[in-house]
Amino acid sequence: MAEGEKKRPINRLKTMYPLRALVDGMYERAVEAGQEGKPVAWCMVNWWGGDAILRAMEVAAVYPEDYGAVCAAFGAAPAYLAQADSDGFPSHMCGYARNCLGYAARMKELGAIPPEAPMGGMPKPTLLLSSGYFCDTRYKWFQALGRYLDAPVWVLEMPHPGVKESRLEGVREHNIKFLVAELREFIAFLEWLLDRKMDWDKLAEIIDDTIEMNRVWYEVNELRKARPCPMHSRDFWSSMPASLYMAADPKVTTGLYRQMYEEVKSMVANHRGAIGEEKYRLAFAELPPWHSLKFFDQLAERGWNFVIESWAYHPPKPIDLSQVSDPLERVANLTYQYFSGYFEDAYNTGDWWGYFAHPYLELVQEYQCDGIVLHPLLTCRTATNHLMVVQDQLMSKLKVPSLVIEGDIVDLNLFDPAEALRKAETFEETMSHYRQVRKEAGMAW
Amino acid sequence: MVMSEMETGLDRARAIYQDRTRRARELKAEGKQVIGYFDIYPVLEMLTALDLVPYRILGDMNEPITKADACLPTVVCPFIRSVMDLGLKGRYDFLDGVVMAHGCEVAEKTAHIWRTYLNPAYAHFIDTPHTTHTAALEQHKELLKDFKKTLEAFAGKELTLEKLRQAIEVHNEQRLLVRELYDLRKPDPPLISGTETLQVLVALASLPVTEGNELLRQVIRQAHERRDGPRIQPARLLLWGSIIDNTAIIDLIESLGANVVMDDTSLGSRAYFPLVEQTGDPLDGLANRYLVALKSPRTFRETVLTKTKRKDYLADLENRFSYLKDYAQEWKVNGVILEVLRYCDIHGYEVPGLKDYLDHIDLPSIYLEHDYSQAALAQLRTRVQAFLEVIG
Repeated sequence: MAEGEKKRPINRLKTMYPLRALVDGMYERAVEAGQEGKPVAWCMVNWWGGDAILRAMEVAAVYPEDYGAVCAAFGAAPAYLAQADSDGFPSHMCGYARNCLGYAARMKELGAIPPEAPMGGMPKPTLLLSSGYFCDTRYKWFQALGRYLDAPVWVLEMPHPGVKESRLEGVREHNIKFLVAELREFIAFLEWLLDRKMDWDKLAEIIDDTIEMNRVWYEVNELRKARPCPMHSRDFWSSMPASLYMAADPKVTTGLYRQMYEEVKSMVANHRGAIGEEKYRLAFAELPPWHSLKFFDQLAERGWNFVIESWAYHPPKPIDLSQVSDPLERVANLTYQYFSGYFEDAYNTGDWWGYFAHPYLELVQEYQCDGIVLHPLLTCRTATNHLMVVQDQLMSKLKVPSLVIEGDIVDLNLFDPAEALRKAETFEETMSHYRQVRKEAGMAW
Repeated sequence: MVMSEMETGLDRARAIYQDRTRRARELKAEGKQVIGYFDIYPVLEMLTALDLVPYRILGDMNEPITKADACLPTVVCPFIRSVMDLGLKGRYDFLDGVVMAHGCEVAEKTAHIWRTYLNPAYAHFIDTPHTTHTAALEQHKELLKDFKKTLEAFAGKELTLEKLRQAIEVHNEQRLLVRELYDLRKPDPPLISGTETLQVLVALASLPVTEGNELLRQVIRQAHERRDGPRIQPARLLLWGSIIDNTAIIDLIESLGANVVMDDTSLGSRAYFPLVEQTGDPLDGLANRYLVALKSPRTFRETVLTKTKRKDYLADLENRFSYLKDYAQEWKVNGVILEVLRYCDIHGYEVPGLKDYLDHIDLPSIYLEHDYSQAALAQLRTRVQAFLEVIG
């Protein structure tokens, strides 16, 4: 460290920066594509099937969910939120959505990308690709964009297989068949919309690269079980969009995740952690306050290392799909594995308390967490519905306490960092207490 | 004397509305099995065909939420929180089982939370798709086959095609009778008030379908015969929005010089108007009715495009909301109240677009948001008053 340079509370991974740049570059690439008259899609996270199809059809994609986080981080969100509010969208609705609706309203008003838009903005879309998994907002938001945009909306349907009924005979088969049929209908729609044909060989290659990208990314996160944990949640959040949103060629992304794997592996070998002294290991649920990420630096200074996050932002547990010959069926199985792979234990134990909540039991044990920070989002039902159940079950089954800090992913006004820090200070005693309780109960951590 | 023999017509509907579990408990004492359900997506015909009594799980605006905080956060639908709270307090302990469907995201999560905390003897979740795609309709039929399997296992008997066809017939009969009930509000003055209509609807959701049909016949006959029905009012309103299962909001509106003559809510016309087509395989008709024919904001309707493959906003609104224009014409509506429960995303996203549409057809509207409590309704009084003055 150079003389006089202050040591940062979190040791950020060097390999995170190129991944983040890859994601950030997505906006510039899409704007260029739009300028060249190439098709552009605004997409919801769709768990890789839709992404691969768009890439194979040479449609540039941007992700307004990610752009919501970008606008929050750059301070551009308040004006867009205000615009959506004044247009009559209730203020309790998704911060990402209201940010995007406000952005689209402004773009319609100007007839161009708003000059203040961070990262160069999102270009006018040719189509909107929505998805129907675990969030009503994902398709209602894009439908509501019709006030400002003349782009057609396609909703990619998906089942919710993490529940008891998923274990009935034949359910997996008809769910996969459904996913594949949906992807085929989407391809047919795209071919009609764009007047071009799918390149099936290219699609197969992209799908295989996507499977490999997710496998490597999964292995990176497995390394975080080490003590001290070498990779903080902030690095996870910076790196996850490359997989979750398929921000670039998955072959390129895979290469960057491999570099990250090597860096993290080396840190584990050298017993180097993400923070100076790891006093407490924590999980985080669900999405963070993007506008106030420095809050985690303050916690790092107190010895809080965030070692794992919700499964929902992680890649699926790897499965062997090499015997599945149809590429659409391969990617459907990958998606289905994401939807169901984290609940195998729940299936086996008959613990039907909600597919969104159960994986925390497994993660908190595997990553040996002293506590969990629950971040109920005042504008997001998806990320909040299950948190009280998580709190209840982690305490009753694992004696792991929860710290509840209310806030929002986009709206800065709904988060109070000073109050949150006060709560955190008190929570340290609680974590220490339950560490002792677990020890007396013979638990592993 | 059991409840069924005590009153008839509107008196009976009111009695059931005020004590809606009583008849279900009587049936239970007679040896019937009662199955609770959420929202309008569980396929009730399949319950009726197996001689199971469908019983709609509703909330209670008058009951403070004290137990649900432990398992549902405050920033989700207050109606669902109320439902969960009542469940935890034992209000629904007479149910033999529950069937839930993906009516909305919060209801879907609550289905699993209900199962965890209340451990019903029978529970089934139908993952109703979100679009009317061909693949979605096929998937929905598969889901109904799955439902049939678990239901037969629970009931210990086979759900035969003949029984299912008969159940479809008797449920369709109810739907046609509900249309007749709604026709009573077409004249001016209407022959039945909005409050009375809601009491009948809540009663229907609490009775076996055949008893509900008998109640409807009584009410319709009584409404035609009586002379003390509602009076003419300057405003004839359509109420659109989330669920309304308490008469307080309609009482409030009707007390201010309006007749609520039509609705589009999930306990009202939305739940009853579409019929099930009798198809060779009854599951085809049921799958179509519950996914395609039911008109609710939770189901995505395909975008209407121009010849140049761009979205035509007004045509798209027309495709989604033209049935409201039909309602307005048939029921001679001169104003619309858009009523949305706080934190109800699927209705919240509709509001600006629906207002655009209503403006386009020159129908005045007002947006009211509330948190499913009596106290909150009092604050709406001034806004409703002002709206009535504008359209009056």
